[in-house]
Amino acid sequence: MVKVLLVGEAAREHAIAEALCRSNHNPKLYAIMRLNNPGIASLCKATNGEVILGNSQDPKAVVEAAKKFRVDFVFVGPEEPLFHGVSDELEREGIPCVGAKRGCAELEMSKAFMRRLMWKYRIPGRLRFKAFKNVEDAVAYIHEYAESVALKPARQAGGKGVKVIADLQAYLSQEKAHVKEEHTKAIHEKYMKDYTDIEDRILIEERVEGPEYTLQTFTDGRTVKPLPLVQDNKNAFEMDIGPETGGMGSIAGKGTFLPFITREEFERSVEIVRRCVRAVEKETGEKYKGIVSGQMMCTPSWGPTIIEFYSRLGDPEAVNVLPILKTDLIEVCEAIIDERLNKVKLEFEDVATVVKCIAPKGYPEERNLAKGHPVHVDVKSIEKKGCKVYFASTDLKPDGKIFSGGSRLVEIFGKGKTIPEAGEKVEACIPYVWLEDGWGVFHRSDIGSKQLLERRIEQANLIRAVYRYRAKKGLIGKTIEWIPKRGKIVLET
Amino acid sequence: MGGVVGVYGFSKEWRMARFIYYSLLALQHRGQENCGIVTFNGETLNYYKGSGFVDQVFSKPETLEKLQGWIGIGSVSSISQENPEKIQPVIVWEPIPIALCYDGKILNFRELAEKEGINCEDEAEFLARLFSVELEKTGKPMEAIASFMGKVKGAYSLIALTGRGEMVVARDRCGVKPLTIGSFGFDYGVVASESCVMDVIGADFKNDIQPGEAYIFDEHSIERRQVLKPNPRFCAFEYVYYARPDSIINGKSIYEVRMKIGEELAKEHRVNGGEVVLGVPETAIPFAVAYSNKTRTPLGIGFVQTGRRVRSAIKPTEFERIVGVQLKLNPIRAAIAGKKVVLVDDSVVRGTTTKNTVNLMRNKMGAKEVHVRIGSPRLIAQCPFGTDVPPKDELIAVHLNAEEVSKVVGADTFHWLSLKGLVRSIGIPRKNLCLGCFTGKYPVLAG
Repeated sequence: MVKVLLVGEAAREHAIAEALCRSNHNPKLYAIMRLNNPGIASLCKATNGEVILGNSQDPKAVVEAAKKFRVDFVFVGPEEPLFHGVSDELEREGIPCVGAKRGCAELEMSKAFMRRLMWKYRIPGRLRFKAFKNVEDAVAYIHEYAESVALKPARQAGGKGVKVIADLQAYLSQEKAHVKEEHTKAIHEKYMKDYTDIEDRILIEERVEGPEYTLQTFTDGRTVKPLPLVQDNKNAFEMDIGPETGGMGSIAGKGTFLPFITREEFERSVEIVRRCVRAVEKETGEKYKGIVSGQMMCTPSWGPTIIEFYSRLGDPEAVNVLPILKTDLIEVCEAIIDERLNKVKLEFEDVATVVKCIAPKGYPEERNLAKGHPVHVDVKSIEKKGCKVYFASTDLKPDGKIFSGGSRLVEIFGKGKTIPEAGEKVEACIPYVWLEDGWGVFHRSDIGSKQLLERRIEQANLIRAVYRYRAKKGLIGKTIEWIPKRGKIVLET
Repeated sequence: MGGVVGVYGFSKEWRMARFIYYSLLALQHRGQENCGIVTFNGETLNYYKGSGFVDQVFSKPETLEKLQGWIGIGSVSSISQENPEKIQPVIVWEPIPIALCYDGKILNFRELAEKEGINCEDEAEFLARLFSVELEKTGKPMEAIASFMGKVKGAYSLIALTGRGEMVVARDRCGVKPLTIGSFGFDYGVVASESCVMDVIGADFKNDIQPGEAYIFDEHSIERRQVLKPNPRFCAFEYVYYARPDSIINGKSIYEVRMKIGEELAKEHRVNGGEVVLGVPETAIPFAVAYSNKTRTPLGIGFVQTGRRVRSAIKPTEFERIVGVQLKLNPIRAAIAGKKVVLVDDSVVRGTTTKNTVNLMRNKMGAKEVHVRIGSPRLIAQCPFGTDVPPKDELIAVHLNAEEVSKVVGADTFHWLSLKGLVRSIGIPRKNLCLGCFTGKYPVLAG
C-alpha cells in the first residue's frame, strides 16, 4: 500500500488524484484542500483515504496532515503552496515530496528572476525585458519607448494581470500609451497588492507573437522527461475573442506533438527547459524535484521561446495528458523522489485529446457573481458519451450539494483519433452541466474544431517561415538596425 | 448605402473614439455624405455627428477627446440628411437609451411602424425605437433582438449600443450586406461592415457574422445566437464595386474575385492586338491587371487623380458625379497616344462618365482605338436594399445593347461581363447570391 497526500483543489489536482488512484500499488489517497472538490473527495473515499479542508498553501498545515496520515509522499498540485515553501518544510520533516522547493519554484514565481537567469546562462528562447521596483520608473519608461510590449506583474499572480499591447499603428499609439500607463498602475495597485515576497513589482517585456503551447515535464533534477505537448486557449469567448482567462480548454496530440509544432521545435523546447533546470540548480544549489512546464511560443525571433515557466502542471493542460498516461504515476513519483527518473519510460495512449472548461457567467472578471451557485453535473451521461469530467472550482457541502467557487466549474475530457473527433465528443457533453438556480454558464464550442486548428496551423506556418529566414541570415538571437548618425547597431535579443 | 463599426473594450481603461474614427476612415468608401460616432462611458451615450467626410466632421482634436468610453459604434452613410439628428447612429432616449446604425433597407418599415404604434418618419430612428421597446419588454438584449429580427423584413447589417453598455449586433437572414467580426488580444472585440477595418485598427479578422445571426457583447459574455434560419443572398455588387479590395467578406477575398473577373473578361471578350490595358481607378485596377496578365497585353497607367478620392458613382447629383469623374480621371497622354487601348471599368450606369472618358482619350489624347470592357454584367434594375443604383429609366443597359452603347460612348467595341462569368468569379453558388441589379429578380426577404 502506498499512501499519498495531494495538495490542491482544482481540476488539475482531480486529474492527478485519478492518475495516482489508477496505480497498481494499492494507493490510498489523502487530500488537503481549501474547497471540497467533489471529484477528489470521492477518490479519497474510494481508496479509504481522507480529506482535510484547510489552507493548502500553509506549510505547517500540510506537514501536519502528512504526519497525521503517515503518508509515503506528498504531491503538490498548484504553485502557491510551492511559493510558500511547502516542499522545503516537508523536506525538513523528512517527508518526501513531488513539487519544487521555494528556490526552484522561483522560476515561476519571479518572472524577473527567470528572465535574468535565461540571460545569464545565455539560454535560447529568451526575451528582452526590464524589471521595475516602482511604478514611476515603469511609467516613465513606457512613455520614453513607445513600442509593443507585454506588461506583467513581476510575480506570478494567479495568471492574472498580464497585458500585451501591440503598438504598431502610429495613429493609435496615443491611446495605447494611455492604456499602458493605466495598466502599469493597475499592476502595482491591484495585481501585486497582496504580494510582499518579492522586490520587483513590474516587468516590461518585448512583445512577441506566434502559436503558443505548453511543454509539461517531470524532473528529478537530473533528468527532464517531457509529456505530450498541449495547447491551451486563453480568450474567454469563441474565435479567440474576449478577456484573458486561466484557460477555457486545451488540445493535444495525436501523439507527442501538436499538428502545428514540429518534432524539431519540440526537441528544442525540451532542451530549453533542460538548460533552465540546470541553471536553477547552479543558482540556488537546490535539486529541482517535481514538475517544470514551459509556457512557450514559437516566435519570429527564436522559434521556440519561453513566455513563462510553471513549477507545476498546467490547468487545464494536465487534464489532457494525465488521463492517457499509461505509466504508473506512483512509480513516476517515487522515481522523482529517488532521482532515478532516467530509468522510467513515460508512456501515453496514442490518441488526440480535447479538454473544455465550463465557467459560470461572471468569470473571469467578476468572480463574486460567479460564486455560490448550485452546480449540477450529470457524470453518468458524460461517461456514457465516452468522456470524463474533472471538477474544478466547486465545493461539495456535507449535505451533498455542490456550489460554484467563482472560477471554472468543470473540465470535460475526451479522446479520439483526431483532435476534431475528440472535440465533438466533448461538445456533446456540454448540456450535462448547468447551474440549478438558472445562472448562466459558458464554454467555447470552437476549441478542438477543424476551423480553429487550421487557423493555428496557418499562424504557425507564417511564423516558422520568418524564424527560418532569420536563421538563414544568422539573425537568431539578435537584430541588426541602422540608425542615422549612429550607424549599424547589433542588438542582442 | 453605408458602413458600420462597433468596438467593445473588455476593460475600462480603453478609449475607443479614436479606434472608431480610424475604422470609419477605412469604411469611407461605403458612404461619403455624413458620419457619426457614439460612445458609452459607463454613465451615458456620448455622440458627435455631422455631414461631410470623416476627417472633416472630426477635424477638431477635442471632438474625439470628448467622446469618452470603452465601447463605441460609428457609421458612414451615402444618404444625405438635412437634420443632423437623423444622421446615423441615431439615438433614442426612451424607454431605454439606444444608439443604432445599420447598412441596408427595411422593406416593411411603414406597415410595421403602424402595427407597433411607433410614429416616426425615419427608418433608422424607427429601428432604434422598436429595439428600445423590445428591450424594455424583455429586459434581455438577446431576447429583444430575436423578437426584433422576427418582425423586421429587409436587408440590414446592424450595430446598436444600449445605455446600459451592451453592444448588439444583427445581420438579416439573407446577409445581403456584409458584416464581419474580429478582435485584438484580450482587449477588445470589433464588428465592422468590412474586414479592412480590422487591419487598419490592428485587430485580427476572425469571421463573418453569419446571415440570421445576432451577438450581444456585455460585461460578462459575448453571446451568439442563430436567431433566424440562414438563407444567404450575398450582394454581388459588393464584389464588383462596393467593398475595398483588401477586405474579405462572406469568406471571399475581394481582390481575388476582382482578379478572376479580369480573367473572365479576357476569356469572354478578348481584344486581339490590344497594345495597352488601362483600368479606370480605383475599383477596376485589379480587373485590368488580371486582364493584362491573361491576354499578355501590356498594362499601363492611364489616369491620375486630382484632389481627394471620391466615389463618383454614389454622389447624389449628376453635377457632383461629373465633377467627381473629371477630377478623378485626368488621362496620361503618353500611355494612350497612338495606341489600341483596352479600357476596363467596373460598371456602366448611365454611360455619361464612360462617354466622357472615351472621348477624352480619343479626341484629345490621340488613342488609335478604344475597346471598353466592363467588369460587371448589364445593370438593369434599382436595388430595393439600399445600394445606390438609379431607377430603371436612367440605366443605359435597360435600353441599349452592347453595339448601341459602343456608338453612344464612342468606343470601337464595348462588352459587359456575362452573369455566369460574374458568378464563377465570386465563387459562391448562384442561389446564395443576390444578383438583382443584373437580373431584376430580387430575393424575397421573408422574416
